[in-house]
Amino acid sequence: MLLQISRKLAVGLLSISTGGNSFAQLANSPSQAIFSVEPLQGVDFTLRNSPTSRKYLIETMPGGAALLDYNNDGLLDIFLVNAGRIQDPLTVPPSFSRRDPRYWNRLYRQNKDGTFTDVTEQAGLADAGDTNYGMGVAIGDYDNDGFPDLYVTNFGKNILYHNNGNGTFTDVTAKAGVAAGGWSTSAGFFDYDNDGKLDLFVARYLDWTVSNSKTCGPATRSTYCPPGEFPAASNILYHNRGDGTFEDVSVPSGIAAKKGHGLGVAFADYDGDGFIDIFVANDVTNQFLFHNNGNGTFTESALDVGAALTSDGKMLSGMGVVFQDYDNDGLPDLLVTQLPHQPYVAFHNEGKGIFTAQELETGFGALSGTVSGWGVGLEDFDNDGWKDAFIVQGHVFDNVEMYDSTLRYREPPLLALNHNGRFERANAGSQIPVAGRGAAFGDLRNRGSVDVIATSLGEHPQLYSNRGCKNHWLGITLRGTKSNRDGFGARVRVNGQVRFATASGSYLSSSDKRLHFGLGSATKANVEITWPSGIHQRMQDVTADRFITVEESPQ
Amino acid sequence: MTHFFLSLLFFALPQSADPAALPPEAAVLLRSGIEAENHHDEDTAIAAFRKASDAAPNSAVVFFRLGSAYMKKRDYFSAVAPLKRAAELSPEAPAVHQMLGFALLSQGYSNDAIPHLEKAQEYGALGIAQLQSGHPEEALANFQLALAKSPGDPDLLYYLSKASTSLASQSVDKLLATAPDSARAHQVLAQHYFSIKSYPEARKEYEAALVQRPDLPGLRLELGQVFAAASRWSEAEDQFRAEVKLQPGSAEAAFRLGDSSLQQGKMNEAATELQRSNELSPNMSETLYALGRALAVGDPQAAAKSFTRVTEIEKDSPLAAQAFLALAGLHRKLGSSPLADRDMQEYRRITAKTQPPEHSND
Repeated sequence: MLLQISRKLAVGLLSISTGGNSFAQLANSPSQAIFSVEPLQGVDFTLRNSPTSRKYLIETMPGGAALLDYNNDGLLDIFLVNAGRIQDPLTVPPSFSRRDPRYWNRLYRQNKDGTFTDVTEQAGLADAGDTNYGMGVAIGDYDNDGFPDLYVTNFGKNILYHNNGNGTFTDVTAKAGVAAGGWSTSAGFFDYDNDGKLDLFVARYLDWTVSNSKTCGPATRSTYCPPGEFPAASNILYHNRGDGTFEDVSVPSGIAAKKGHGLGVAFADYDGDGFIDIFVANDVTNQFLFHNNGNGTFTESALDVGAALTSDGKMLSGMGVVFQDYDNDGLPDLLVTQLPHQPYVAFHNEGKGIFTAQELETGFGALSGTVSGWGVGLEDFDNDGWKDAFIVQGHVFDNVEMYDSTLRYREPPLLALNHNGRFERANAGSQIPVAGRGAAFGDLRNRGSVDVIATSLGEHPQLYSNRGCKNHWLGITLRGTKSNRDGFGARVRVNGQVRFATASGSYLSSSDKRLHFGLGSATKANVEITWPSGIHQRMQDVTADRFITVEESPQ
Repeated sequence: MTHFFLSLLFFALPQSADPAALPPEAAVLLRSGIEAENHHDEDTAIAAFRKASDAAPNSAVVFFRLGSAYMKKRDYFSAVAPLKRAAELSPEAPAVHQMLGFALLSQGYSNDAIPHLEKAQEYGALGIAQLQSGHPEEALANFQLALAKSPGDPDLLYYLSKASTSLASQSVDKLLATAPDSARAHQVLAQHYFSIKSYPEARKEYEAALVQRPDLPGLRLELGQVFAAASRWSEAEDQFRAEVKLQPGSAEAAFRLGDSSLQQGKMNEAATELQRSNELSPNMSETLYALGRALAVGDPQAAAKSFTRVTEIEKDSPLAAQAFLALAGLHRKLGSSPLADRDMQEYRRITAKTQPPEHSND
C-alpha cells in the first residue's frame, strides 16, 4: 500500500516537472541509450521567445546554439542566442528589451572540470541591440587569425563579433558591412571562390513586419500563419574582401534572383567540381540548391537535379538541413527536416550532380509521421562508421493540439541509427517533450563521442550527453594555410567514410568544426584530405582514439 | 432554391386563359393585366388582375394569373391566397397546384406544398419538399424520377446527394437507437470520428466493433486507415494485412497494404502487394504510381513503365505531374538527359496550370 501511494505521488510530481510526461516514459531509458540528458552546470540560460496572443510569427522560430572553442583552450564552449521580449501588442518600431540581461545572448566558457562559466559580459557580447529579436548563429574564422568569430542573425540587424583572441569580442558589423536586415535565420561561413577567405551566406525567411503581421485560424484558436501569407525574401551572399570587410554580392552572384522562405542552410561540393555549393531549406516553397558555377555566380538548380521536392513532388516545409554523406558512397547527401504528415526527406546524391528523394527508402517516412523537425545532424553517435541522425522536434503552433489531436507542440527528439544507409529509431535517452528548435553537435567532453546541445522555446538548453561506447574514433582539426584556416569545404576521407568540413547545417546553429569519425573496431585510420585549394594530403595508419590537427601542406 | 423554382415558372403558366368566358369588365381587366405582364410591369398587372378577380370572383383563371403575377415578383406570401382560391375553383388543374406548391415551398411550408406538388407531378420540387419535411426516402425516389426527365440537372443532382446523405443519416440514427452496442453501430461511430479527425476515438470504436465481429470485412481496412492518417504505418500495415487475409480479392486492401509497406521503405513487399492490386483492378492510377515508387530503386525500367501508364491515364492532373517528376528522376539516373528534360517540361506544363502563383520562387 505504501508503495502504491509513493508511486502515485512520484507520477504526479514527474508529471509536473516534465510537462505531463508519464513515469513510464521516463522509466523507459534502458542502459543501451546512446545519450543521457545531463544538466549543464553553470548554464542558467532560458530561451525567452515571449509568446503573445497576437501570434507574431517571429516568436515561434528561435533560437540557435553554437559549439566553439573561442579561447583555444581545447574545450568546447557554448554560445546561445536568445530571442527577446515581445510586447503584446508590439509597438512600431518594435523594441525587444535586449539590454535586459534576461534577453542577452550568452557565451559560456567550459571549465576544465566540465562546468561552465558565463563570460557574456566580459567577452563583450551582452548588447544584442534592442531592436533585434534573436534567431541564429554562425561560427567561422573569417580573418584567419586562429580565433573563431561569431555572426548572430536576428529579426532586425545581424551582428558580426570579431574574436580579439584575448577572450573578448568586438562588434565589427558596421565596418564589415554585414548587418543585412529583415528576418535572417540560418547563416554560415564558407569559401565559395576558394580564395582562402571565408565568405558568409545568410538565409532569410520572409518579409514579415509588425505592420503586416496577422494571425490565422478561427478566433477561438488563432495561431501562426503559414509562410505563404507573407512575401518571400531573398538570401544574402557576402564576399570576404580579406581586409575585414565584406561585399554584398547577392545580386551579381545570382543568389538574390530567387526568393523563398529560407530557414536552414548547408554547404558542400555536391558535384565534385571543386567549388562549394549551397543548399537552402525553404519553408513551403521549392528547396534551393545553388550550384556554384566557379566564376562567382550560382545557378539555382534544385528542381532540375532532383533536390527541390519530395519523391511525391510535394513541397517541403524545409526547416533544418544537413549536407553530409549518409551512405558512405563518398558523396554529400541532404537530410531536410519538416512539418508533420510530411516525412523528413533524404536527398540521396546519385553522382553526376543529381539527387533522388529517398525519404521512404531510408526509413524516414516511418520515423517522421506526426513530428516536426528543426535542428538536425548526421553524426556517428555510436562510432560504428555510419552517420546517424539526431533531430530536435516540436511543432510550430503552441496550440496545435486544438487543430489535430495526433500532433503535439512539445516532442522528444529523434535519434535514428544508421544501418547501411537505412535509419531506425533508437533510444535517445530521453522522451521528455520540448518545443525543440536549434541543435549543435560536437564532442563536448573530448571523450571521442558526439554530444548534442539543443534549444527549446521557453526552456533551458538540453545537453544530450553521449554515453560513449567501445568503438574507436578519430577527431580531426583542420588548419588551412593556403585554404581558409578552418579548412571549411575540405573533403576528408577516413577509412572509406567521407565528411565535408563545415560548422554549418542544422537549424540556426553552428557545430564543432572538428571532424569526428567513428572507426568501429579499427584502431588505425587512413586519412585523405582534399583541401579547398585542391591540395591532397594522405596519412596512413593514424592511431585511433585521439584528436589530431592536420595542417594543410604546401603542395 | 428560389432560383430553381423561378427557372421552372414558365412551365406553370396557364395556356387556357380565355377572356371570352368572363364577364366583359373582367375580360378587359384580364387582357390589360396580361398586356402589362408582357411589358414586365408586374405592379400594374397585379392591380388589373386584382380588379378582375373582384369582377369575376369564381374565375380560376383570374386568380391563377393574379397568383402567378405575385410569383413573378417573388412575393410568395401574397401569391398563396389567390392560388389557393384558384385551386378551390379548379381542383384538377395541375398548373395551379404546381404554382401553389412552389409558393408554399418557397416560404418553407413543405408539408403544405407536398399534396399540390404531387397533383402536379412536379417530382423535383416534391422531392425537395419531402426532404425538408424529413422524408428522404420518398425524396430520393422523386429526384430519380425528375432526373430521368432532366438528366444532369445540377440542382437535381445536388438534392439527390443531399437526400442520400440524409437517408444515410436517418439509417445511422436508427441503427444507433435500435442496436447501440452492435459492431455496426461501433463502426458507424468510428467512421464519424474518423471524418472529424478524432483518431483515438475512431480507433476505440473500431476496436470495439472488432471484439464483436473480428471477421467483418472492411473493419480492419478502415481501422488501418485511421492509423495511416496518423502516420502510424506499422500499425496500419498490421490491419491491412489482416484485411487482405479476409478479402484476398480486394484490390483496395492490397493497395493499402502495399502503400503502408511503401511508407515504411519496404520496397519489395510493397511492390508485391501493389502488383497484386493492379492485377485485381488494373489501371488504377494511384496503384500504378505507388507501384512505380516501390520499383524505382530495384527495377527502374519497370518503374518507368508504371509511371508512364499513370501519365497516360491521368493526362494533366496533379498525379500526372508527380509521375512526370518521378520519370524525370528515373531518366536522369539512367543517364537519359533528353528524356528527363522532356519529363520536366511536362511536369512544369502541368504544374503551371495547377499550382497557385505564390509557389513560384522567382
